[in-house]
Amino acid sequence: MTESISNLWSIALLVTIPIFATIIVNLLFNRNRAIKYISLISALSLVVITILSPYGFQWFTGQPALNPNTLTFTFDASIPAWRMALEFYFGPLQQVLIFVMALILVLVIGIATNGLTKNQGPYIGMIFLLFMSAAIIIMVNDLYHLWIAVEIGSLVVVGVVAASGEGIGQKAALKYALFSALSGAGLAIALALILGLTGYSNISDAIRYIQTTNLAGMSSILYVAFGFFILSWIYAGGLVPIHPLKSEVYGAAFPHGTAMLQAQSKLMLVAIGLVMLRLFGSLPFAREVMLSISVLTMMLGVVMALLQTDLRWILAYLIVSHSGLVTVGISLGTYDALVGGLFQAVNDVLYMSVLLLGCEAVYYFGKGTSTKTAVGIAKKAPWLALAMVLGTFAASGIPPFNGFQSKIILIQSALKVGLPEVAVVILILSVTTFIALFRGIYSIFLKPAETTPLAVSGSVPSEAQEDDKETPIPRGLYLSLAILVVITLILGVYPDLVIRFLTPVAQAVSIPWYP
Amino acid sequence: MIQVTIQLLAFFAAAVLVIIGIAGMLFLDNLIKKIIAFTLLSDGVNLLLVAVGYVEGGIVSILLPGMSTSEFASRAVLVFPVGIVLTNIVIGVSTTAILVALAIVLYRRYGTLKASKVLKGERR
Amino acid sequence: MVSVDSLYDKIKRWTVEFVGGSGYSNQMTGYMTGELQTVVFTLILASLFRIFSIPLGMVLLIAVAAALLYFAPMIVHVERESSNDLNRVLFWVVIYFAVIIAVTLWGR
Repeated sequence: MTESISNLWSIALLVTIPIFATIIVNLLFNRNRAIKYISLISALSLVVITILSPYGFQWFTGQPALNPNTLTFTFDASIPAWRMALEFYFGPLQQVLIFVMALILVLVIGIATNGLTKNQGPYIGMIFLLFMSAAIIIMVNDLYHLWIAVEIGSLVVVGVVAASGEGIGQKAALKYALFSALSGAGLAIALALILGLTGYSNISDAIRYIQTTNLAGMSSILYVAFGFFILSWIYAGGLVPIHPLKSEVYGAAFPHGTAMLQAQSKLMLVAIGLVMLRLFGSLPFAREVMLSISVLTMMLGVVMALLQTDLRWILAYLIVSHSGLVTVGISLGTYDALVGGLFQAVNDVLYMSVLLLGCEAVYYFGKGTSTKTAVGIAKKAPWLALAMVLGTFAASGIPPFNGFQSKIILIQSALKVGLPEVAVVILILSVTTFIALFRGIYSIFLKPAETTPLAVSGSVPSEAQEDDKETPIPRGLYLSLAILVVITLILGVYPDLVIRFLTPVAQAVSIPWYP
Repeated sequence: MIQVTIQLLAFFAAAVLVIIGIAGMLFLDNLIKKIIAFTLLSDGVNLLLVAVGYVEGGIVSILLPGMSTSEFASRAVLVFPVGIVLTNIVIGVSTTAILVALAIVLYRRYGTLKASKVLKGERR
Repeated sequence: MVSVDSLYDKIKRWTVEFVGGSGYSNQMTGYMTGELQTVVFTLILASLFRIFSIPLGMVLLIAVAAALLYFAPMIVHVERESSNDLNRVLFWVVIYFAVIIAVTLWGR
């Protein structure tokens, strides 16, 4: 271990800066200018900290070890039995994922502080808390903080969705909250079972205990714990039985809020998935179960996306469906598949943010995002249409964009472990993503606005007034779109920029697949 | 023959509470009843956590003056589950608060608390 | 009278079932694509069972193909079961959970 034994400064800052920012913007409540500057400065500082920080640990406490010679408790690090109970780790994977999340945070805050007019404080605060929960969950190495991060994260998601203020948002929030109560309790039960079985809350310690001790009759407890873990996994990522609720959450929030929600959800998927792979990866059928959930998610998500007629809902289902790509990589569990899955998580967050921010821009034309009402926008905003089309290319895995790179790794790794069916599903998913997205984008952007000939008798001249609701798109939105499109392009051409951060984790966690 | 201990009884009670909670959330239609079922579920989880850390004749895991460390090590209960239970109570309260608040908002909007009416599936 | 439906008649009826009301709608393309996707995905999923045993995979594949033909159009069922009704989702989650624990315990 090359990391120093003392606590790392940056981990504490990554957690506390969002909390303080939340408190301050809550107190400012609706002083928009002050909120804008404070939140932008905090978000930018988070980006900078993520880039500058070295790798290392943060320990909250340790379970004391019994010194074998003196029979006294000790926290001495030189004694190998020292158990680091509550532990955060900041490494290459954490760096790249938190960096992407912080980047999205900056862009989203730039947009949110322009768009909304009243009661900005609590809303911006909740967006900061979303970042915090995601940062915690990707850094934790103990079950206790994992559980807390899932609980906080789900409550904040509920808040962000309810903030949209419409009936559908509140309904989606209540459904999601009820289910979060169920799955949070499930994760607590899993935590209790593993704690009772091994005596450790630290994940590394629990894994070492499970691997070195003959559990005999107690091993069935591990399977029940696995079931409860799956429950919180499908809940955090919106995998199959939850996909109607999760996509409703995505569709009901403001699109910029959804950009943040989907980033948080991808980080949760990766974090819980890696923990599951480490804890239960060697159990028979565990990875098969995870893989089947992932494949089902991809299938149902993309099929449901085809049926939607509103760009918001198309995107909502596609986000769920693409979560399946991330989890396919994690559940296959080989080195290549893990690299592909983690890289897909990064790419997914980026290109879905392009599409979501583009969807937000469509609102400024005053006719909603339904393919039936909003038509012919490309003529008014050609650059927006271009960004959306490029985002579609990235999402459907067309070469010079980043989606292609991660999908090709995933397809190759699926073929390598002898599962060509999974590769076929990934391919079909890419094609169908293109169909589903382009159906929406064609009617909203490219379809010519119907010049309804004014009937001679009883024409309704209200349509001309409706166009007056158009408001100019803020320049920050265009800037954010440009930044994100450029990043998707750069990562598509130089994937190594991200992949070299992912290989250490993939090497450490990977388990060979045996059919 | 399994010995019937307090710990085993506690596990059993926790399982019953959890099952009642899940069944209530699944089958009761009133939103408030669903929330009450969740609190039962949460209590079951708390009981399970406490029971995991139970030690026969155990003492509070605070090293009091005059107590030898070896005696403490052999008798003290596992401290960690107690901490988790405290956290779970806090989280349970905040979750319940959010659930009830949303239920009130939805009641004002739709005039009913029936989940099958308020939260029914709708086509988009 | 004995049914004289040829395969063509069945496919035609199945296609026409999508067209609710006044002919072609904006959603029809989506439903058609969705139906074909569902069929292909289900067949692929059935063929995945070959990793347990190849005869099982073959039998499942044929059975699933027959079931798809019988229950078509599938997309209506898929859409109905993917409804966002809270109670329905909770029901599916409980079923799912039971199946997962049963499968993993059986694998032991």
